[in-house]
Amino acid sequence: MRYILPIISLLIAVGLQVNLPSGFNIFGAKPDLALVVLIAYALAADPMFGATLGFAAGLIHGSAVGISLGSFIVTRTITGFLAGLLTTRVFSENPIVPMFSAAWLTLVNELLFLLINPRFAPAVAFRTIGGECLFNSLLALLLYWLLKYLETRRKIRLVNARMRI
Amino acid sequence: MPSFLRNKTVFSFLALLVLGMVLGSAHSRALETGESFAPSNVVRTVLIPIETTFHRMFAFGEWLLRFIRPRSAILRENAALRREVKRLTEENARLREAAEENVRLRQALHLRLSTPFEMVSAEIIARGGSVWFDTATIDRGRKSGINKGDAVICARGLVGQVVETDTFTSQVVALTDQNSAVGALVQRSRQAGIIQGQGTDLLVLSYLPKDADVREKDIVVSSGMGRVIPKGLPIGRVVEVIRDSIGGTTSALVKPSARLDNIEQVFVVKAGQTVPVN
Repeated sequence: MRYILPIISLLIAVGLQVNLPSGFNIFGAKPDLALVVLIAYALAADPMFGATLGFAAGLIHGSAVGISLGSFIVTRTITGFLAGLLTTRVFSENPIVPMFSAAWLTLVNELLFLLINPRFAPAVAFRTIGGECLFNSLLALLLYWLLKYLETRRKIRLVNARMRI
Repeated sequence: MPSFLRNKTVFSFLALLVLGMVLGSAHSRALETGESFAPSNVVRTVLIPIETTFHRMFAFGEWLLRFIRPRSAILRENAALRREVKRLTEENARLREAAEENVRLRQALHLRLSTPFEMVSAEIIARGGSVWFDTATIDRGRKSGINKGDAVICARGLVGQVVETDTFTSQVVALTDQNSAVGALVQRSRQAGIIQGQGTDLLVLSYLPKDADVREKDIVVSSGMGRVIPKGLPIGRVVEVIRDSIGGTTSALVKPSARLDNIEQVFVVKAGQTVPVN
């Protein structure tokens, strides 16, 4: 039950990702929406949840791309695990934290990907990673605010319901 | 058993990694043999309605934007389209003439003649799923007779190749993707090489000899080697020739005539389509 909403979010993110207009880019790099969703959920959970969700994210995204399924699964499982691990070590209400976390987790994810698929020209690869880190961190900030807003509303509704009792 | 493996979280994490590697390896094997990979097939079946919904939403948004454009932009586009129609009409007449001459010469020499290709029209329903790969999903699969390796073309030329097929959809890898390699010819000099994607806007025509007869603006077409991609499909135009005096090789940068990321409709050409003529 805990995984249903994150997996639906991942499916929607991948569905949106494969339809992003070509002009939607920074330095030629597009955001990785599935990775942003994975990081957003995994940052608020434990390492095991992060790793399992990462596995699902890799399977969904890799299947949509059709190449290097194993690379997608392995890199996202590690990224999800690291994101979950980060929650147990660092916790902050400051929105800058998820923003920077998204940036460095994207960097780790893509460097791992390049380690497994070492065929890309370094100059192109680093420009792409730079753009993606920037994009993902901005999106993570927006998603963080959205999730926080939804969570606050849920808590208010819960408190109101208890007060009525 | 090492002590860290007794930790349930670490053990489960490592088990997931191993499972990921096993799945990845099985997927690669399925890609090589041209078979369908069940886990990906299931995920894609779930993804198709989501992708199609977003595809329609974006198409509607694009249509809406086009609809509300200012009149001056429409007039500019109209003028550009008129120029394009004029240019294409002239080019069409020249090509028709060349094709007729080609047919006459072939018949005179009793050569084998290529029939018009058997093609399946398809729509791109998803693309660019990753920053590292230039792939797309089309709405035709095995049910429409599409197989791994079939060429994917549009009106301007070759755009890619089918890399995986499901029942109703297929994955296409673009010529510009780093995993892509196709036999090619310089149309003017008939110099053969391999055209490879680099993950950028340009392709590279490599494996040419040091003194290869290739110049800027030369047209590059498919060579038909391996009988997978039909011969003579336009690929692009040479923009730069690089001669490596130390390595003794020549390569050329080619601007593709068509790109997978800015087209909607494609045709899938089935492999091995040439018949002898009486």
